[in-house]
Amino acid sequence: MKTLFFAAFALYAAAVILQFSGTAFRKEKLTKLAWFVFLGAFAVHTGFLIARGIAAKRLPLSNQFEFANAFAWGVALMLIVMRGRLRTDWLSVVAMPAALLVMTYAALQPMEIRDLMPALRSGWFGVHIGSAVLSYAAFVIAGSIGLRYLLALRKGDADKKALSQMDFLSYRMVAFGFLFLTIVIVSGAIWAEQAWSSFWSWDPKEVWALITWIIYAVFLHLRVRGRLRGKALAWYLVIAVPVVFFTFAGVNTLMHGMHTYG
Amino acid sequence: MKKVFNYLRSMRFGILLLVLIAACSVVGTLIPQGREIAWYAQTYRSFHGVILLLRLNRVFESWYFITLLVLLCLNLTLCSVLRIFRVVRGAKTEVERAARLPDTVRLSPEGVENLREHLREQHFKTETCGGAEIFRRHSFGRYGSFLTHLSILLTVIFGALALYTPTVQDIPCMPGESVVLEDGTEIRVFDFHIADETGRLDYRSRVQIALPDGRSSEIAELWVNHPFSFGSWKLFQQSFGTAGSLTVTDPATGGSDVFYLTEQSFLSADGRSGLMYDTLYPDYVRSPGGEVTLITITEGTYPNPIYQVEVISDGVNTPALAVPGDELEVLGLRFAFNDPVEYPGLRVKHVSRLWNGMLVAAFALMVAGLTVTFFYEPALIRLDADGYAVGGPKPERMRVELGELFGEYETDSGEKERAE
Repeated sequence: MKTLFFAAFALYAAAVILQFSGTAFRKEKLTKLAWFVFLGAFAVHTGFLIARGIAAKRLPLSNQFEFANAFAWGVALMLIVMRGRLRTDWLSVVAMPAALLVMTYAALQPMEIRDLMPALRSGWFGVHIGSAVLSYAAFVIAGSIGLRYLLALRKGDADKKALSQMDFLSYRMVAFGFLFLTIVIVSGAIWAEQAWSSFWSWDPKEVWALITWIIYAVFLHLRVRGRLRGKALAWYLVIAVPVVFFTFAGVNTLMHGMHTYG
Repeated sequence: MKKVFNYLRSMRFGILLLVLIAACSVVGTLIPQGREIAWYAQTYRSFHGVILLLRLNRVFESWYFITLLVLLCLNLTLCSVLRIFRVVRGAKTEVERAARLPDTVRLSPEGVENLREHLREQHFKTETCGGAEIFRRHSFGRYGSFLTHLSILLTVIFGALALYTPTVQDIPCMPGESVVLEDGTEIRVFDFHIADETGRLDYRSRVQIALPDGRSSEIAELWVNHPFSFGSWKLFQQSFGTAGSLTVTDPATGGSDVFYLTEQSFLSADGRSGLMYDTLYPDYVRSPGGEVTLITITEGTYPNPIYQVEVISDGVNTPALAVPGDELEVLGLRFAFNDPVEYPGLRVKHVSRLWNGMLVAAFALMVAGLTVTFFYEPALIRLDADGYAVGGPKPERMRVELGELFGEYETDSGEKERAE
């Protein structure tokens, strides 16, 4: 089964290299090829997720490796959906490396399948962690759009329409991610009450989820208010992505808490 | 006064509060919370005085953090709850206002017809006002923001009540025994096991709650993620332990008693001679030469338990090891070593179902509010023979979507551009 994972990893890496080459040398054929390789990587990746789920007899979301793997899959899925809707490839050059980055983190984690510990055997498991996958993936895509926006401004290769489209799409991705992050926090609180007897324990993972929620809540308010637009908001989104990564990986690595097993 | 009121209800103040709450939260995770003062003194040395002074060791219980939450509640109340009146008023006149919008996107007659058809396919409601057609959808969406803010307010209030009003105590209880709480409620534990029949860790007890008024619950299974409620009590499978079990018999009288031991204990008839129970090890390895190596850590169960004890006789301590089934006799008392007993650590919580229920309702409202806010945005479109305009409280999404579909794009400043 590891072969499937590393095959997907290699294909993502190949897609990134082809996409960069195609963009750098302005070769449309290369970028088209990159896209097909990326789709192939996604198919293999999906196959790996399914195989792992069957082998583990549960949703493959229980530890850092499985979550990172699903997270990368979520980023790839959102890129594919967005590209399908937009019919342009301006996002690929930044979102593909983002998916590869998360895959790289997954590849560095222990991969063995372990029995689900009793605390994780709950109906909330899929809702809570599945929502986190979608939420984090949406924030990474939003950050990627922000980065693409800044690159476009710097290179001066985008018209107003494209910039407005990026600005609007980044907002939509944040809205989507924010809704799902709220579901993560809310479902986690209800689950925590069942498992640990308290809705909220100020556990580092809980607190960092709240911090991430606040960061994106502030983004949404600033945007609604109209105080921050365009470049400033793009920077905001790019800077927020490391916070998402810290909430996902940094807390588990550097801080001790009730989510340590995750 | 009005300036202060306006500031308290402003979005700027709300954002400032959120940023401060986030900043306090970061500190609260970087500095471990709730440790002994000596730990801070040892870890942070001269800086620990500042930590204690600023309550950085208990950020989430500090006066300034609670003040921030109270101010956030105030801001949410003033900003959002009072805003609902404006939103309701605005809803009553939105069609008239939309009818007065100038065309910001010009379309060909064919384009107008296509747009009309598209809007009908999208289940927009149509009405005529001031000579123009007004298409409306998701009118309820205007309340999304209000519902979201209201739900956050309720979450903070009911969250505080659900977190800080219950009483919680952790009690160990041996299988077959019961614990009586202060108010006379009795909790009976019938049995407990750590692993199920397949060997998978499970931590499951059978329990019963008997209330002081004589009512008793049915015997219920309790395990991780599956608490058991009866009356205003809620039991949680919180932890577990393994106790040594010894049967002490006095052959002279024929009397015997079973002792469950979780800590060092001295079992004696005269207080001077007897058996000192030290500890119980889950596993051991015996070498061919008979030397025993004790193993302290195993996962969950005790596969091969061994007792470490001291025989105390006439002031002489003699260390000894015993496995279940062994017997020792010390000055007329017989000590029989039994299989260890696994017992649950129960968390007993006196809960208010009302606060818990209201908090969960606030959660549901928050998810519903956000869904309405982001995915049911109210759309209001004025269409006439020359083109269309998008109005309403949240026109951006519709402007972008229609711009993409009909080859016209409206910029933020309202200027029109023909799409490539």
